[in-house]
Amino acid sequence: MASQRKRSKGESLTLRYLILGGWALFCLAPVLWFLSIGLRPRIEIITPQPIYIPSFSLDAWHMIWDDWPMAAYLRNSVAAIIGSVIIDLVLAIPAAYSLARFRYRGRDDIGFYILSTRMMAPAIVAVPIFFLFRNLGLLDTIWALMLIYAAINLSFVTWIIRSYMLDIPKELEDAAKTDGAGEIRILWEIIIPAVLPGIITASVIAMIFAINEFLFTLLIASTPDAYTMSVALSNFTGGSDGVIYNAIALVAFLAFVPVFLVVVAIQKHLSRGLTMGAVKG
Amino acid sequence: MARIELTEIQKSWGPIIGVRDVNIEIADEEFVVFLGPSGCGKTTTMRMIAGLEDPSEGRIVMDGEVMNDIDARDRDVAMVFQGYALYPNMTIYENIRFPLRMRGVPRDQHEGKVRRAAELVELTDYLDRKPGALSGGQRQRAALARAIVRQPQVFLMDEPLSNLDAKLRQAMRVQIKHIQRELKITTVYVTHDQIEAMTLADRIVIMDKGAIQQIGTPDQIYNDPANTFVAGFIGSPPMNLVEGALEGGTFRAPGIEVGNLPTRHSGAVTLGVRPEDCTVAGMSSHLSGTVYGVEPTGDITYLTLKAGEKLVEVKADRDYRAPLNKPETVAFDPSRIHLFDTATGQRLS
Repeated sequence: MASQRKRSKGESLTLRYLILGGWALFCLAPVLWFLSIGLRPRIEIITPQPIYIPSFSLDAWHMIWDDWPMAAYLRNSVAAIIGSVIIDLVLAIPAAYSLARFRYRGRDDIGFYILSTRMMAPAIVAVPIFFLFRNLGLLDTIWALMLIYAAINLSFVTWIIRSYMLDIPKELEDAAKTDGAGEIRILWEIIIPAVLPGIITASVIAMIFAINEFLFTLLIASTPDAYTMSVALSNFTGGSDGVIYNAIALVAFLAFVPVFLVVVAIQKHLSRGLTMGAVKG
Repeated sequence: MARIELTEIQKSWGPIIGVRDVNIEIADEEFVVFLGPSGCGKTTTMRMIAGLEDPSEGRIVMDGEVMNDIDARDRDVAMVFQGYALYPNMTIYENIRFPLRMRGVPRDQHEGKVRRAAELVELTDYLDRKPGALSGGQRQRAALARAIVRQPQVFLMDEPLSNLDAKLRQAMRVQIKHIQRELKITTVYVTHDQIEAMTLADRIVIMDKGAIQQIGTPDQIYNDPANTFVAGFIGSPPMNLVEGALEGGTFRAPGIEVGNLPTRHSGAVTLGVRPEDCTVAGMSSHLSGTVYGVEPTGDITYLTLKAGEKLVEVKADRDYRAPLNKPETVAFDPSRIHLFDTATGQRLS
């Protein structure tokens, strides 16, 4: 009886690994395929029959680093993204706390307004934003990119953090009040630590959106001073050389690496964050 | 050490009245329990004492000082919550220390005070754990330690034991009473459990529908309930309440006749008698009915009789057994019969 149960448990574990392994491979295949395109000679890409086992070549690697200021692009991307996430958190945490905890007239309307900024098609505001930043003298700077990425993501960062705050039992704040804490202390010492998984989750999603942002970056950036990885990709699609697929693949892969590293580093918090709502405090 | 006075307290949210006309004086070092069914306003009243809710009307006075406009954090009260409300990101040590930090207690005193509070609730071995790693009883004790650590003027406890199992609840009850007596801190305790109220309280405040029904010692509440609500709420099983007519000192209802009542009232009256004040097959019977159910529990047998359409519960001898529908008579202890006005529910003197 016992051994039978043990065996069936072992089998289910194997099955679980098989299914999860298959799923992981399925998700990873495009990334690996991309990488393999980036690391093969250009000649092997534009063939009628796909070549599954390509020859290895660092042509594209040398090209993007030697002919293009790829380090500057990468630096711009990382700086603009980190800056935008910091701006988002500074604004979104107090806003979310206010929306989640205080009662005042028009609170729900304000909450909906914040969310509604996300509903509009970005192209509608592209031209006004261009003139706005031109008048501010911020065209072609990563400061402008920070502000734009922050503005794009602010609504859902606020909304995610707010929903985590709603899950915090009201008793916790009442306890802190009777223990002698003021509103700022409560936010800083009780609320923020309690919603940390939510803050991390929202930050990662904001980073992913920001690194993929293309339209406004193209509008604002015109030199390597502000070019980011996403816009850099478009460098390889025109000109006398035609579409340089292996360089595109390699740049796309490089753009994927920073987010990937962040996610790996905070994986524990992320998975906790995505399931926290299900656990009753 | 504080006296608390609530005067004409009312709390309403728009047209909804949560608490009305609450008047009570709580003496220094007294243990007062607010008892009532859920939604009766007892927790709201406590939250107003804590400063977590503002009364719509009335005054809250502590030691002669009006508290209405003073924030919760500036009142010297400590509260224990039903859901413990421990800060999940802090260790138990940090949880207990939190009020000391917030109230500006000098840093060098923290360690000693936290240890003493933890010793009082027997939690010294768990100080470096997070609340999530503790059992329910341990969490409750941690919450208690956090409340007692800075020796507040007033303890407020909002159903602190209701999330614990029965055995633990009894142990914690004794512990809470012991700590309160030892620290001599005025305590207000909210519960819907009458056993907790009876065992802990110096005085019980019974509330229903936002209003106080009776204030008294546990004995007074049990022996002289002010109205039918209190009579029916306190006691397990509750007091039997039978509606009938009173005329010339004799109460009559189908199957029930009680004479020689020392009262001059007449008309529609509700008679109340507790199951333990009834004797089966007494010499002079007041009730004659048929056996509806017999429930032996070991030390006592609960007998339910049907008199007219009314079911009356009686505590019978542990060996009592009877078949269904057997005719049976019961005598009431004449000194423990309660009479209430049926229309108002109020006790008749």
